[in-house]
Amino acid sequence: MSYAYLFKYIIIGDTGVGKSCLLLQFTDKRFQPVHDLTIGVEFGARMITIDSKQIKLQIWDTAGQEAFRSITRSYYRGAAGALLVYDITRRETFNHLTTWLDDARQHSNSNMVIMLIGNKSDLESRREVKKEEGEAFAREHGLVFMETSAKTAANVEEAFINTAKEIYEKIQEGVFDINNEANGIKIGPQHSPTNPSLPGAGGAGGSQGSGCC
Amino acid sequence: MQNMFRSRSWFGAGWGRPKNLHSLEHLKYLYNVLSRNQTVSEHNRGLLVESLRSIAEILIWGDQNDSSVFDFFLEKNMLSFFLRIMRQRSGGSSYVCVQLLQTLNILFENIRNETSLYYLLSNNHVNSIIVHKFDFSDEEVMAYYISFLKTLSLKLNAHTIHFFYNEHTNDFPLYTEAIKFFNHPESMVRIAVRTLTLNVYKVEDASMLAFIRDRTAAPYFSNIVWFIGKHIQELDTCVRNDADHQSQNRLADLVAEHLDHLHYINDILCLNITDLNHVLTDHLLHKLLIPLYINSLTSPRKQSSAVDGTTQSLSRISLTPRGSENNSPKVHDFSTGKVSCVVALFLLSQVFLILSHSPLIQTLSWIILKTDRSVFEKGVDKLLEYYEKEKEGRNSEDEACSRTLSDISSKDSNSSKENILDEQPNMNITDEEKQKLVASPTEGAASIDHPFLETVYDALDCSENDYASLFALCLLYAMANNSGVTSDITEQVLRPKKSFISKSTSASKDVRYTYNTFLIEKVLNIIILSCQPSCRVRLVTLELALKLFVQLVMCDGKNILLESHRSVIETARTQSTALLRNFYKSEEIFLDMFEHEYCDMSKGSLNVEWLCMDSAILLPPTGTPMTGIDFTKRLPCGEVERARRAIRVFFLVRNLVLTLNGEVETQLPLTNPQSCVQIDQALDLNNSDLIACTVLSKDGTKTRRFLVIDILQLILVEPDTKRLGWGVAKLVGFLQDIEVTGDKDDSRCLHITIHRPISGATTNRIPLLNAKFIFDDNIRCMAAKQRLTKGRIKARQKKMQHIARLLEIPGQSGPPSPAFAGQGLYATRSAGRGVRENRPLFNISRGPGFAAPRRESPPGVIHRVDDSRRHREGESPNRISNLTKENGRKENHSRDSSSNRVRSREGSPRMPRPRSEEIPLKLIKKAPNSVIDMAPKIAILPRPQTPRTVIEPEPSTSDENAVAKDLNVSVASTTSEETSFIAEQLNKAGVETV
Repeated sequence: MSYAYLFKYIIIGDTGVGKSCLLLQFTDKRFQPVHDLTIGVEFGARMITIDSKQIKLQIWDTAGQEAFRSITRSYYRGAAGALLVYDITRRETFNHLTTWLDDARQHSNSNMVIMLIGNKSDLESRREVKKEEGEAFAREHGLVFMETSAKTAANVEEAFINTAKEIYEKIQEGVFDINNEANGIKIGPQHSPTNPSLPGAGGAGGSQGSGCC
Repeated sequence: MQNMFRSRSWFGAGWGRPKNLHSLEHLKYLYNVLSRNQTVSEHNRGLLVESLRSIAEILIWGDQNDSSVFDFFLEKNMLSFFLRIMRQRSGGSSYVCVQLLQTLNILFENIRNETSLYYLLSNNHVNSIIVHKFDFSDEEVMAYYISFLKTLSLKLNAHTIHFFYNEHTNDFPLYTEAIKFFNHPESMVRIAVRTLTLNVYKVEDASMLAFIRDRTAAPYFSNIVWFIGKHIQELDTCVRNDADHQSQNRLADLVAEHLDHLHYINDILCLNITDLNHVLTDHLLHKLLIPLYINSLTSPRKQSSAVDGTTQSLSRISLTPRGSENNSPKVHDFSTGKVSCVVALFLLSQVFLILSHSPLIQTLSWIILKTDRSVFEKGVDKLLEYYEKEKEGRNSEDEACSRTLSDISSKDSNSSKENILDEQPNMNITDEEKQKLVASPTEGAASIDHPFLETVYDALDCSENDYASLFALCLLYAMANNSGVTSDITEQVLRPKKSFISKSTSASKDVRYTYNTFLIEKVLNIIILSCQPSCRVRLVTLELALKLFVQLVMCDGKNILLESHRSVIETARTQSTALLRNFYKSEEIFLDMFEHEYCDMSKGSLNVEWLCMDSAILLPPTGTPMTGIDFTKRLPCGEVERARRAIRVFFLVRNLVLTLNGEVETQLPLTNPQSCVQIDQALDLNNSDLIACTVLSKDGTKTRRFLVIDILQLILVEPDTKRLGWGVAKLVGFLQDIEVTGDKDDSRCLHITIHRPISGATTNRIPLLNAKFIFDDNIRCMAAKQRLTKGRIKARQKKMQHIARLLEIPGQSGPPSPAFAGQGLYATRSAGRGVRENRPLFNISRGPGFAAPRRESPPGVIHRVDDSRRHREGESPNRISNLTKENGRKENHSRDSSSNRVRSREGSPRMPRPRSEEIPLKLIKKAPNSVIDMAPKIAILPRPQTPRTVIEPEPSTSDENAVAKDLNVSVASTTSEETSFIAEQLNKAGVETV
């Protein structure tokens, strides 16, 4: 499946803020939670189109691995983008942002694009963190900010795609060293812009299949 | 809900598809789809993918809502369909495989019901999926596959482990398949493998761990160790070939990679699995840390003989690998080579900063600090053997080799007493003896006995540059602070030693402190060198040297320095002060630089672990900022940076002296934040100068405020509704940070920008306020402008004077700077408003058109004098009277004399009047007594009152110096005697604000 670039993302934030749900919502839109069914996943990939270029996003959730320092360290380093997620209905998840950000800044490469996400925007009645607070935090730390809902899918597309756009701009500006795969960016096997196909479906051809098994 | 799902239908005409997606019926329907499409083809793969997606969703729903769903899934053995699908070669199965793996991921990650999980795992299908040979060349398949394994590993516990590890067949596919990818080129895959291994090790299951140890540990660990070795050889090559900083990115990756390895090893070691740790430690020591890292430390001078010995022994090891499992033919490639000393020191520092597993660390530090050359030359195995013997207390044994070993050890213990200076007590010792101590030749002896330590010591020499010195300091610091090293190894060498000597005459015991004088002298050399004008020691090296220094000589809360060493510190202090004096006022922005550097430094002391994560320090020290290297980690470039460096050196040495004396900083920062007016503070503004104004901000909002100008601050207040004559501060800014410009179209208006003060807390550089101020008339506007402009100059002058005193610039002996202490006056007053309600703070009764605060001097009065001139011409006799006045005023709650005088002539720009920046004496407190009296020269001497002069209004803010020079001709010429008594009182005291 051909792409111009592959961007690797990580999702960080306290447990229970809905990281894996955001991931699944973005990579597989089918899972619209109903009956309070929350489904998440730790990894997902999806093709998007920016500037008529096919860009593949690979998203790695780091949940459950915080106990091992070597793991979090490496994850940060290998990513071009990070979604820093908090839960708007739980203030403590917002209060921990600084710690997460410090960690991210310390371990990641300096060009990593960080998007601040206030998740669960559908639960307006239980809101504990005002939107303005999120905006202020983002402004102060130079992040892009967005409130999302993994449940209603509100802004989920935008969150991932805007992050990708920013990375893409940085590549155009020459900030990222794209030849260094350690930065979480990979150049596609060939630069052939194809038609934007269905998310996740890509253009898997028979050729790949023959190699399988 | 139903509607929503129908509208999102992915299928065309349903084959009797049930309406409710979350139901057993739907799963039955999907089962039918799978049964009818057992062969994957171009035509049905879309359908299959959709079915697999739905299955995941229904199963999770069922797991939480309806157990019959899971029963059906198991009853129909639907996992076997999965296997059948993935085993087919045809029809774009990689596309289907990806969805299949993702379905499994979702399944295993979201299942909450333990029974469901057990059922899923029970029929060994999962293990069949694990061992299935997917097309791993497809990066997507690879990513989903490894995520699947990782997800499974997160489900491991003492119960579930048995579904994956088969005790009878000695089979553990989850683990053995995963570690095949441990060196996969894709970093995310490697990370997943590491996560998985750690999750596996974490499970407390003896037989599983035995399997790991017996069947996999040796090859897996030896592979890791081999790859680390390979990496650092690449790293070394990169450093050697890059004197011009061309491949910083590559180097950064290699360093980060090494850190990843070490952290991973540390994470394993920290799980405390004795057997595993033993194997891992063994591999690390024998194959990597000793042959490659430590052996690279052999000093080039004596290399010839030592290297021969080492290479011989190493080749011996190569021929007889320790475990037959070590079948990688390349394992020993690197053992014949060495990396450069600089790289070895850097890497060892990282080892000591990250790992703390005692058996490993203890061995390493013993080898570095205590190894005898004769033993070392026999090779790694002998070295370790010797260490083991040493550890067991050098038991005498009958074996032939043990005799020689014990010979060596006894020699070692003797020589260490003779050759290391640190045995000397620092008390009750004559200067003569001290001289002898200092002079006694130790280098030669040390080098014979401790080849590695000697290399480290040699590296501390920065007469040429500090390239290697920084790493030597890192290593020493890291060793001294590693929790895995016991004190008996570091004591004397890296930590002070405390011993009790019983006196023969009495039963009492004397405490005797000793420290490593040889090392201290090396470090002192670095410190002294750093204080020289054009030295090649980077700030970071100095900071680390000081950090280590403090640890070496501080014991029980006090320093145990010998007199001779103390005097070297004093020299360093004098020289660093003198160095900075050269730059005083060398730049227009000296004050801003000074405050900025202080602020930068206060952000926290050097973090050595972070320092050793920075690959930039691995390249030879450079001066140019174009490398992107931090200022502290390179040499200064240009005059401004040299000034910055001098400021930093001054702060660092000053801090060292304070620490050694057990004192706290009382003179810095220049602005004491606690004594400043804060927002929302209520202030007694009776009899104060208030200028009414309307603040028109950029967004068009208008607010009515009163402008108050304090010594250092500009305050915008609104009337306090609770108390007449009081005001509440709504905005405060520092006068030194303001910019004032008139409005060319409206003479009643000023444009005022207040920049944010430099502070460590925020990086926000948006101005605090950028607004148009509209005054009642142009007279008030002019008055405000003059006061603001003068206030800015004066606030800056005060701080400059304070710096001058810190730098012991002659003529600066006077009371502590208002900048630091004086502001407290205001705050104290306002804080104490309850009891002193009636005391006027500012004079408000004045004629129309004049609204300047009382404490502000009339426009044009310049209080600053050229320093040298003031020194020459003596000091103002008015100072004490002013001081007393201010003091008295405070106590009497009356300031009539001054305020009346001011009031009567308020507004006349030519009118001289007492300055109001005096410092109340009660603000000056004695600092805690110092342990060692190095204080006097640091404490700020009182200075005479700055002379008053009268000048014409001077609107310019820029040319302070010229103004000051021109106008301070009539400075009073005698030093008053009153001044000197205060000077004495303050001599030993720091200054504190109340």
